[in-house]
Amino acid sequence: MALLMAAFLAIVFSLTGFAQQEPFQEAGVCARCHVISVIEWGMSGHRRASTGCTACHGSSAGHIRDERNNVKPDRAPKGAAASELCADCHQTGCPKTAEKAGCQTCHHYHALVDPERPATTSAAARPTGSEARWQAFAKFMEEGEKLAQMGQWAQARTAFQNALREEPGDRRAALRMEACARRSKPDLPGFEIVEKEFDPGTGLARRVRLAGFHIPMVLAAGGEFEMGSDRYEAARPVHTVSVRPFYLGEYEITQAEWLAVMGANPSAHQGDAYPDAARMPVEEVSWEDAQAFVRALNEKVPGGGFRLPTEAEWEFAARKGGAEPVTSAAQSPHAVDRNRADGLGLHDMLGNVWEWCSSVSRRYPFDPADGRESADGSSLRILRGGGYADPVDLLDPAFRHAERPTRRLPYNGLRLARDVPAAR
Amino acid sequence: MSELMTRRFFLAAGSSAISLSGASDPNPSEYQRGGMIYRRLGQTGMDVSLLAFGSHTDPADRIRAAPPRKNVLSADGQARRDRMITRAFDMGVNLLDVYEEEGQWEPAARIVKDRRNRVLVSLATENPYLDPEQAFRLFGHVDLYRLQAQQSNPAVLESWDRLRKAKEAGKIRAIGLASHDERLLTTALDELEGLDYIFFPYNFIHARGDYSRFLPLAITKGIGLIAMKPLASGSIMQLDPRARPGAKPEFERLQLFGSRVRPVLPAAVAELTKSLDRMPDETLCMAALRFAFGQRFLSTVITGIFQEDLLEDDYRALTTYRQTRPEERAALDAARTVARLCGPEWLSPHYRWLEEQWRS
Repeated sequence: MALLMAAFLAIVFSLTGFAQQEPFQEAGVCARCHVISVIEWGMSGHRRASTGCTACHGSSAGHIRDERNNVKPDRAPKGAAASELCADCHQTGCPKTAEKAGCQTCHHYHALVDPERPATTSAAARPTGSEARWQAFAKFMEEGEKLAQMGQWAQARTAFQNALREEPGDRRAALRMEACARRSKPDLPGFEIVEKEFDPGTGLARRVRLAGFHIPMVLAAGGEFEMGSDRYEAARPVHTVSVRPFYLGEYEITQAEWLAVMGANPSAHQGDAYPDAARMPVEEVSWEDAQAFVRALNEKVPGGGFRLPTEAEWEFAARKGGAEPVTSAAQSPHAVDRNRADGLGLHDMLGNVWEWCSSVSRRYPFDPADGRESADGSSLRILRGGGYADPVDLLDPAFRHAERPTRRLPYNGLRLARDVPAAR
Repeated sequence: MSELMTRRFFLAAGSSAISLSGASDPNPSEYQRGGMIYRRLGQTGMDVSLLAFGSHTDPADRIRAAPPRKNVLSADGQARRDRMITRAFDMGVNLLDVYEEEGQWEPAARIVKDRRNRVLVSLATENPYLDPEQAFRLFGHVDLYRLQAQQSNPAVLESWDRLRKAKEAGKIRAIGLASHDERLLTTALDELEGLDYIFFPYNFIHARGDYSRFLPLAITKGIGLIAMKPLASGSIMQLDPRARPGAKPEFERLQLFGSRVRPVLPAAVAELTKSLDRMPDETLCMAALRFAFGQRFLSTVITGIFQEDLLEDDYRALTTYRQTRPEERAALDAARTVARLCGPEWLSPHYRWLEEQWRS
C-alpha cells in the first residue's frame, strides 16, 4: 500500500513539475494530508507571494492535533465568505473586473489560475458536442437574465429551464429558474406579502405576515457565514456554515400571539403590573412548549412548515442583521417593538428573552446531519440571544446557552422560523 | 437505592456499584508537594489543597457596615487576616474562600493578585444584591463560584442558570452548590445542569452522609465534594476539656465544661479526658480534622481560620496526616458520647440544625 502511495505521489509530482517537493516543505504539516490542495496551491500566485495555508485557514491548531478530523480548520471560507477573505488583501477587487464578490466563479480555491489561460477545462479542450451544449447553455442564461431584468418572469423561467436542459445540475441555472418561478407566482401559502420588495437571488418576498395571526416574518436569504467565536469555549472553533433561505420572525413571539394559538399565557410577567404584557415576549416556556406551539400553528396555518430556527440559522440572521444589544441587566422584558430593527429587519435578536433553537447542544463544528436537529430525546437544547437580566457580554451572536427541554424559566422565549416554500 | 440503606450495606454495595459503573474514581487522585496534600476536585481538572482557607472572619474584629455588606473588619483585624492568608499560602494552601458580606473581596483580590496562577478563588452568591460582575472585575475570573441554597424553589434554578452562563462566558471555572439540606443536595445532583462541586457539612459527629443517598450518587457522578463545618463551626473545640485557654468557637464561647454541664457528665468527660491524654501532642480538633482529611471521597476540607495558632494546628494535623490511630478513634468516640449526652446545647445556637439534619 505504501509503495502504491509513493508511486502515486511520484507520478503526481512528475506530472505537475513539483519533483523537488518545495511546496510540500513550505506547506509544512498541512501537506501530510492535503496533498492535492498543496499541489494546487503550489502552482498559484499565492505561493509565489508566500501566502500560506494559515493566511486563509488560521493556525488551525486543534485541527492539526486531531487526527480523526473531528475538529475542523479554524476557517474554511467558501462563497461569499471566501470573497470577503480575498478582499482583505485584494482591497481594490479583481485586477481585471474590479469585482469584489464571487471570486470563486473564476478562480479556484487553491490553484487560483488565470481564468483566461488555456487549461484542461478550457473551451478548446472540450469535445465538440460538449462545446455546443455549453454555448447553448450560455445563450439561454443570457436570455434568461435579460428577460428577468424586464420582469418577464415566466419567459425568464423558461429560458433558465432550457439552460438546465443543456447543463443538467447547474446550480446557478436551477436557482435562477426557481427565483423566476417564485416571481411569476409570488404568493406563499399561509403568508400575506407585506411589501412588494423581493430578494433578487431567491425571488422571495422580503417581508411577509402570517395569515390569520399577523405575525410578521422577514426573509433570511441564506448563504455561507463564519459561525462561532474564539471568545467563548463552547463557540469554538470558528467554522464556515451554509444555511438555506428561511423566514424568521421579525419579533419574538408575544404573549398575545401565544395566547391566540395556545389558548393560555404561561408568562411570569403579566397582569396589572405589566400594561404592555400583550406586546411583551412570551416566557416561562420550555423547548417542548415551544414545539407544541409550532405544531399548533402548523395545524392552523395552510402550508405549515413553521418551526424553531436551528442555531446556525439564528446566528446567521443575527450576524447578517448586525444585531447589537440595546439593553441589559433589566428587571423584566419589554415590548417586542420597543427597540429599532437591525439591518435585516429583526428586533431584539440580542436581549429581551432567550430564544429556543431547535438544535441539541453539541460541540462545534455545526453539522445539521449529525443528529443535533433530531426532535427526539431529552438532550439539552440551545438558547440564543441573551435575556433582559443578563450582562452585556452575554448578548453576543456567538454565545450559546443550553437548557433542558422541559425547563421553564421566566427569561426563555422563542422566535418563529419557517422553511421557504418550494417554488410552484 | 433504599433510604433505609445501612452504612455497612452502602460500603459493600455502593462502592462496588461505583467501581462497576466506571463513572469516576471514588478517591480523588492525590499527591503531595512540600507539606501539603492536593486532590483533584471532581472533574474540574483543578487540584485543591486538602486544607482550604475558609471565609469566616474573627467576630471580634468585625465592625457593622452598610448594606449590602453585613460587616467589615477593623484595620488591625484585616491586617491579621491578611497575614494569616499569606501564611496559609506559604504552607501550600491554594483554595481561598471569600465572603463579600464581610467586605473581603477587595482585600482578597489584592492578596491573590500576584499569585493568581497558583491560588484558586472561591466565592458564593450569598447575597442577591452583590454584583458578581464586580467579582470578575476584581479577580479577573473566579475559579469556584457556588450557589448557597437552603431550600428548593424556582429562584434556585434562576440563580443557577446565571452561574452557568457566567461559566459558559469563561468568567467562572467551576460552579457548585452549598447546602445544609441533604434532600436538596440529592435533588441538585439530578436537577442542576453542569454541577461541578458541592459544599456540605461534614465532621466526625455529623457524618450521616456516609450512608445517605447523596454521597454515593455524588461520587458516582464525579462531583467534587468539599467538606465544610469540619469542626462544627468551632464547637468541637468546646468538647475538648483541655482546650487552649482563650480558644473560642466561631460565634460565642460555650461553657460546656463549666459548672452547669460538667457534673452531669462525669463519666463521659473522664473517658474523653483519658482518651485525649493518650495523644498528648494532639488536640481533639486536630483529630477531628484528620478524620475529615482521611475521607478519600472529599477533595478538600474548608474551615474558618481566624486565629493564627489554629492555622498552625490545622497544618500540623495535615502534615501528620495518615489513617486515624486507635487512640484518636477512641477520643473521637468519647467526644461523640459527650456530644450526644449534652444534646444540641454543645453547639452554638446558630448551628443546632447540624444536630437535627446531620447527626450520625
